[in-house]
Amino acid sequence: MTEEPYRWLEAIGNRREYVREQLKGGSPVFAASLPDGILLLGVGTGHSKVFELFDRHAIAGLGHPADIEKIRQAAIDAAHLEAFNRAPEDVSLRRLVGFGLSPQLKTNFEQIFSAPFLVECLLAEVGAEPNQDLIARLHFDGAFQLHTKGVVVAASQSEAEAAAQTWLNQTLAGKADRNGIVEALLEAWWCVTENKPFGDGLPSDAERRDGWRKAVNGRSVEVGWLVRKSNRRARYEELTPALSSL
Amino acid sequence: MSDPSPLAGDFFSLLARHHASPLRTAVSPDAPVQTQATTVFAFHFADGVLMGGDRRATAGNVIVTDCVDKVLELDARSLLAIAGVPATAFEMARVLQTSFEYYRRSQLQSLSLPAKVRALARLLRENLPMTMQGIGVVMPVFAGVDQTVSPPAPQIYFYDPLGAQFHAVGYAASGSGAGTIRSILSFQDRYGQPRPTRMNLQQAVQFALRLLMIASEFDSATGGVNPDAHTFATIKVLRGSGVETVAAEKQAELLKS
Repeated sequence: MTEEPYRWLEAIGNRREYVREQLKGGSPVFAASLPDGILLLGVGTGHSKVFELFDRHAIAGLGHPADIEKIRQAAIDAAHLEAFNRAPEDVSLRRLVGFGLSPQLKTNFEQIFSAPFLVECLLAEVGAEPNQDLIARLHFDGAFQLHTKGVVVAASQSEAEAAAQTWLNQTLAGKADRNGIVEALLEAWWCVTENKPFGDGLPSDAERRDGWRKAVNGRSVEVGWLVRKSNRRARYEELTPALSSL
Repeated sequence: MSDPSPLAGDFFSLLARHHASPLRTAVSPDAPVQTQATTVFAFHFADGVLMGGDRRATAGNVIVTDCVDKVLELDARSLLAIAGVPATAFEMARVLQTSFEYYRRSQLQSLSLPAKVRALARLLRENLPMTMQGIGVVMPVFAGVDQTVSPPAPQIYFYDPLGAQFHAVGYAASGSGAGTIRSILSFQDRYGQPRPTRMNLQQAVQFALRLLMIASEFDSATGGVNPDAHTFATIKVLRGSGVETVAAEKQAELLKS
């Protein structure tokens, strides 16, 4: 009897290790709050990684496609029910993540006899002004952080994720050119997937440019754009074709 | 036994699972007077479909407001013109707006035109108890884009209050003023110079505004158009590429020219 809590802790520890092992090698995703909207980027191999959720909301995730799909569907269901029962303006990312997705993920993670969610994701909400933007970094165990500006990264390795996020926020500070930002995100994507350092030993500009271009061969680069000002209620646009101009 | 699996992307089954039925099916015998009567219509012109409607809402002989939008954008490629009891009609539009967007986002593809047409028919059928009691009648006109042809082609459908759907070849009208303008549309379609299908946007908007002026002369419940009082219609244009709203300022400009 006295052993039970320890067994549970061990099981949770094993489970965390298992999820991290399964997520290793997952292709990172990015979200950047810009003056005209929020840009989301992912590089996939046949499976989509960036999706529209609701009028002002989008998600980008890495992990098992079936688990990304479950999270996406749960978020879409919750957002549309909320919009129908109250109003579209009442759908907020803070509530969607804080009271919807996060508790579900945490409950699932702690139920040690069911399969865990193999997913790491970013959820974004575009505001009327840049300072009202919200980007949530949601983890497989339900933990989440809310960011109100800059670039946020979701990757399978927390050290690489933090390094990429710091480098991108320094590199892109004050920049608004969408193509330039996509280019920088893809360079960071290449560095993370190739285990290149972001501090000392960061590959040169030319290496990074060539690197991501070669690495995306045979993969699809998805760019989602949540436009800030629009006459339409649905703010999400796919920008993938515009990539050819880079 | 567990509930049957919900139909993928079906917003109605999501509502049912959460016991959030969109329409009431039981009414009180002491129901208040409902606002109704209107003129809405749609016709094909050279660029696509023009859908228009007056902006008046009445309750018996009382004018409730002259600022109602009866032509509603359901999604980027479908329009609904509502005639009948506004409480029910606006709720139907809201259900359809959420339902179409829910399907598009969850299934990663747009609902087909026939499915959209049937979704509205289903709501009308579910509204049958209200319709039979005479206080919830809705007779809408729907326009959507057929994406299966190249180039995508806007189409018009009209309904009876029980939910039967009809494809309109040239035009459709609904509401208390519809009889008047249906005659004009029929005449213009047969003998007009130009016929509605040959009209450009300017001609089509002028024609639509004049239709509402005539309708308001014969139907007190139709608000009509009065440029002197800056009272215009709700006019939206549906093309293969999407929806455009013709604002009051543009209507004034097109009516003058």
